[in-house]
Amino acid sequence: MVDIVIAGYARSPFHFANKGALAKVRPDDLVAQVIKGLVHKTGIEGKAIEAVFMGCAFPEGEQGLNVARLAVFLADLPQSVGGATINHFCGSSMQAIHMAAGAISMGAGDAYICAGIESMTRVPMMGFNPLLNPSLAKEYPAAYISMGETAENVADKYAISRKDQDQFSLNSHLKAAEAQGKGNFKDEIIPVKTPAGDMVDQDGCIRENSTIEGLAELSPAFKEEGNVTAGSSSPLTDGATAVIVCTSDFAKTQGLDVLAKIRSIAVAGCAPEIMGIGPVAATNKAIARAGISLSDLDVIELNEAFASQALACMADLKLDESKINLDGGAIAIGHPLGATGARITGKAAQLLKREKGKFALATQCIGGGQGIATILEAVE
Amino acid sequence: MKGIDKVAVIGAGVMGAGIAAQIANAGVSVLLFDRPSEGKEDRNQIAKDAIGKLIKSNPAALMNKRNAKRIISANTEDDLRLLADCDWVIEAIIEDVGIKQTLYKKIDKFRKKGAVVSSNTSTLCREQLVAGLPENFRRDFLITHFFNPPRYMRLLELVSGSEVSDEQCKLIERFCDRSLGKGVVHCKDTPGFLANRIGIFWLQCAVVEAIKQNVSIEVADAVIGRPFGIPKTGVFALLDMVGLDLMPHVLSSMSESLPPEDPFHGIYQEPELIKTLIADGYTGRKGKGGFYRLRPDSPDKIKEAIDLNTGDYAKAERPSVDIVKKAGRKNPRKVLEDDSSAGRYAWSVMSKTLTYAASLVPDVSDNIEAVDEAMKLGYNWKYGPFELLDQIGVEWFCAKLRSEKTDVPLVLKSVGKGKFYRKSKGFREVFGHEGQYLKRYPNAGVLKLDDIKARSKPVMRNPSASLWDLDDDVLCLEFHSKMNSLNLWTLSMMDRAREKIETSEYKALVVYNDGTNFSVGANIGLMSVAARLWAYPFIDYMVRRGQETYKALKFAPFPIVSAPSGLALGGACELLLHSDAVQAHAETYTGLVEVGVGIIPGWGGCKEMMCRWSLASDTPRGPMPAVSKVFELIGLAEVAKSAEEARDMKIIRAEDGITMNRDRVLADAKERALELVSGYRPPTAVEITLPGESGKVALDLAVEGFRKSGKATPHDVVVSAALSTILSGGNTDMTGKVSEDKLLQLEREAFHTLCRHPDTVERVHHMLKTGQPLRN
Repeated sequence: MVDIVIAGYARSPFHFANKGALAKVRPDDLVAQVIKGLVHKTGIEGKAIEAVFMGCAFPEGEQGLNVARLAVFLADLPQSVGGATINHFCGSSMQAIHMAAGAISMGAGDAYICAGIESMTRVPMMGFNPLLNPSLAKEYPAAYISMGETAENVADKYAISRKDQDQFSLNSHLKAAEAQGKGNFKDEIIPVKTPAGDMVDQDGCIRENSTIEGLAELSPAFKEEGNVTAGSSSPLTDGATAVIVCTSDFAKTQGLDVLAKIRSIAVAGCAPEIMGIGPVAATNKAIARAGISLSDLDVIELNEAFASQALACMADLKLDESKINLDGGAIAIGHPLGATGARITGKAAQLLKREKGKFALATQCIGGGQGIATILEAVE
Repeated sequence: MKGIDKVAVIGAGVMGAGIAAQIANAGVSVLLFDRPSEGKEDRNQIAKDAIGKLIKSNPAALMNKRNAKRIISANTEDDLRLLADCDWVIEAIIEDVGIKQTLYKKIDKFRKKGAVVSSNTSTLCREQLVAGLPENFRRDFLITHFFNPPRYMRLLELVSGSEVSDEQCKLIERFCDRSLGKGVVHCKDTPGFLANRIGIFWLQCAVVEAIKQNVSIEVADAVIGRPFGIPKTGVFALLDMVGLDLMPHVLSSMSESLPPEDPFHGIYQEPELIKTLIADGYTGRKGKGGFYRLRPDSPDKIKEAIDLNTGDYAKAERPSVDIVKKAGRKNPRKVLEDDSSAGRYAWSVMSKTLTYAASLVPDVSDNIEAVDEAMKLGYNWKYGPFELLDQIGVEWFCAKLRSEKTDVPLVLKSVGKGKFYRKSKGFREVFGHEGQYLKRYPNAGVLKLDDIKARSKPVMRNPSASLWDLDDDVLCLEFHSKMNSLNLWTLSMMDRAREKIETSEYKALVVYNDGTNFSVGANIGLMSVAARLWAYPFIDYMVRRGQETYKALKFAPFPIVSAPSGLALGGACELLLHSDAVQAHAETYTGLVEVGVGIIPGWGGCKEMMCRWSLASDTPRGPMPAVSKVFELIGLAEVAKSAEEARDMKIIRAEDGITMNRDRVLADAKERALELVSGYRPPTAVEITLPGESGKVALDLAVEGFRKSGKATPHDVVVSAALSTILSGGNTDMTGKVSEDKLLQLEREAFHTLCRHPDTVERVHHMLKTGQPLRN
C-alpha cells in the first residue's frame, strides 16, 4: 500500500467569535488566505492538487454554497482543482484528511489540501435555520442534546471534579502561553488580513494571566448545580486550518517537508448524551488498526471541547498526561468547529517531528455521539 | 435660514460629554474636545475615554450605542483648526472666568465666521464671560445652560445679550428645541438664571430647616415630595444623586454673585455635618453614600438614613406621614395647614421657596410661565411654583404670610384673589406681571391637548378614553385611565372612533395623550379579578375583543397614527404595531412584555411582529431567522430604551417618524396623519412562511437548555412553549402559508391555556402587588 503523508500544515490565528480580531473576516476569505499561505509556504504545485476537501460544521451563509470550491477560486488555485465540503461537525476537517487518504489509496490522485473553516461569528452554532425532526426529538431527544449538557453528563458519569477541570483548563492556557512565548506557533500561523487592512498574526483566545482562583469563581454555564463553566469549555472561535495530504512519492517529487505518515484512521459512535467520551472507542479502533499499543504513543493531540470530556478520555484510555497537547489545547487556543480536526492532526504531525517521537495520536469527540482518531507515524 | 450641521463641545466632563451625546442622538456629528493627554500615545485619550463612558452610561446617554460613532474625539492643543467646520461651539469647561476667556480667544481664532459660541456655565453671568472680548465675538456669544443628564433633563436656559442678533438666537433655539428636544427658556443674565436660582434656594432651605426643626430626612423627603408633585427623591435623595461635594461650590458662587438684599444670604451656611460627610468620602451616590447609604459590609442591600443631628446612620424608615396620605397628590394646602412637625416643616420650606420664586418677578423674569417651565423641566417638578400657588390658593397663602409678618411679593399682591392661570373664552391665559391676563399661544409646531381641551368639548368620552377634534378633520384618541392602561372602555372608544370616522367627515385618527406614559398596556388587574372568580370566559372574550378592535383599526379605510411617549408596553405596543404609522417621541420605551406575567401578546402582537420580521428584507433567509428573533424579543420581554432602539426591534418602522421634543409630538403626528389621508389605501392582509413543529422543537430545546442552566424558570418553559407554538405557525409546514387570522387564532389558543395556569395567575397577582415580575 502506498504511504500517505502529511506534508504541510498551516492555520490562521484563532480568535474569539463576535469580539475577536477575525469577526469581520468572511469565512471563505479566511480559509482562502490560509490555503494560499500554505501553498506559498510549501511550494506545492497547484495543478498537481486533486482537490480541496473542506471541513465545516455549519456549511451555510458565507461558508455555504460548497465553500471548498469557492476557496479554490479565492486562493487562486487552478480551475482543475476540485472542491468538496465535508460536514462531520467537530470532526469535519479530520474527516477531510481521512477521505483524502482513502481517495489516494484508491488511486484517485496524489495530493489533496484538507482544510477546515468555521466562523462562529458569522454563522451561528446550529446555523441560521435549525429545523429539527419533531418525532426524533420526541422519541430520542438525545439526538439533539446540547454539547454543554453532554459535558456535564460526562463529568457526572466519570466523576470528574470541578477542581480537576479548572486545573486542566489552567494548564492548557499556561502551555499555550508558553508555546506562544517561545514562538512555537510561528511556523504554523498564516497572518490574516482583515477588511480594515490590519494583519492579524497572533492567537487571540489564550489567557496567559489565567489563574486557578479566577477559574474557580466562574458559575456553571450549562446546569444550575453543574461543574462545567465557560472557563473549562472551549470558546466560540473563528479560525481556519489546512494541511497537505499526499503520497510520500509526491512529497519527494515536489520537495515537500514531510511531517508524518498516516498509519491508521477510525471513527466510532457512542451514546449522544456522553459524546465527549467518543475518542475512547475511536482511538482503540485506530490503535488496533495500526497494530500498536497506547503505550507506543509519544505525542497525543486530544481535543479539548471540554475539560471534563478530555479528562474522562484520558482516564479511560490511561493516557500519559505529559504527552498530551504539548502546546496547549482548544480550551486555550480555541475551537473553530470545522477547522479543529485538521489543526490537531497537523499539530500532532508537527510535534511528532519536533519531539522526535515514533507514533502520534490525534483524536476528538463529535456532537451526536461520535469519536474520530488518526494515528501518525514518524518518517525516516 | 442656515442650520446646524456640525457642533463642537469643548470639555469632555460629565456635562460636555452628555451634551455631545444628545447632539449625536439628534443625528448631528459632533467634535468632543478635552485637554491633550500627556504621556499617552493617543493625545485624544481623555475625550476618547469620555466617549467610552458614554457608551456604558446608565441611564444611557446615547439613544443607540451606534450614535457614539457621530462623536469624534479631539484635543484643544492640536485640533482647534477643526472648529472651522462647526456651526456651533459649546464650551463646558471649569467654572473659571479667566480660563474660559483664554479658551474663547483661541476659539475665536479658529471658528467659522459667524459660528455661534456658547457656554454651559451654571453659575457665571454672560456679562462676566464676554467682558473685554472683541465685539464680533460678543455678537455670537450666548449662554446655553443644559441640565444633567442632558439627554433626559428637558430644560435649556438660554441667555442672550443686546448685541446678539435675533437670527443667531433663533438658530440655536430652533436647534435645541427641534433637534435636541429641549424646552428652551429665555433667561435674563442673572446669577443661577431661573431653575438653579429657585432650586438651590429650595434645597438649601430644606436642609437648613430639617436640621433646625429636627425632622428626619425620610420624613422631609416624603412631605416635600408627592404632595407637591416633586419627584419622590424629595430633597436629600436628590442631593445624594447630584453629589454633596458639588453643593459648597454652587452655594458659595451663588452667595458671591447674588445682591446683598437677596433672601438667599439669610439661609446660606454650610452645615458642619455636610462638611464632615464630604471629607469622609460620603459625596452621594457616586461616593460611599450620602444622606442615604447602603449598609457597608452587609451582603443584603439595607438602605440607611443619616440622623442630621448625630451624623449616625440607622435603617431607613418608610415614614408613614399621616398628612401626606391625607393630602394625596393634588392638595398641597392640606399639608401646609397641618399643625404637625411634618406640616410645619413643609410650610417653612415651601412657603419660603414659593415666596422667593414670586419675588423674582419681574426683575429676574417677567414671565410667570417661564419660571414654572424652568422648575418643571429642570427639576422635574410636576407643577411650577405659580401652578403650586394656584393649587394652594394665593389668597390663603398671602394671608398666612402676613400672619407671620412676612413680606408678600408684589406679584402675589397683584393677583390677589385670582389665579395665575385661568381659562377664558376658550383660551388658556396666564397672569402677566403688569396685572393683566395674557393669552397663552403655543409655539409654532406645538399642539397641546390642553389647548384643545380649553376651547372645546370632547367629541366622545367615557371613563377611560376621550375623542378630541384636532381640526382639519383629524380626531385624537386620548387615554386617561390609571396609568393609561387599556380596558374594555378604551377598546370601546377605539371602536367608536373608527365608526365615527367611517360615517362622518373625519379623515384620520391620531392616538395620543399628554401623560408621562402613552400606556402601560392592558389592565392585568381585570385579568386577576377574573381569574379569582373563575371567570375565564371573560378573559377569552377580552382577548378576542382586543384582537377584533385592533384588526378593525388596521384595516379601517382611514389612516391611524399612534404617537407614543414614555412607556408603551404590551397591549399599547400592539396598538403601535397595528397603526399605519407611528410618530414616536424619542423617549419612547416600548416592547412586548407579556411573558413577565405568564401570558403572551394576545391582541395580535405576535402576529404583527412575526409578519414584520418575516417580510423584512434585512432578515436572513429561511423559515427560522425571523422566528428566532421574534421569539427572543417576546420571550425575553425586551423593552426598547428609546424610539431608535424600537426601530431596531421593528416595532417602529424605518418610515415612521421620531420627534425629539415632547411638546411637538402631537403636531407632528397630526401632520403625518394628514400626509397619509390623500390616496389612502388600507393595508392588505399578508401570508407568511413559517417552519411549523420543526422550528418549534429547536426553540423549545434552547429554552430547555436555559432551564437546566438556571437561566429560565419552570414556568418560563411553559410560557415559551406556548409562544414557540404561535411563532412557528402551529401545525403548518414550510411549504404552506400562514395567514394573519391563523396567527390570531394561535394567540387566542395559547392565551386560553396560559391564563388558566396557576403559575400565570400567581405571576399576575405578584406583579399587581409588588410591581415586579415573579420568577416562578
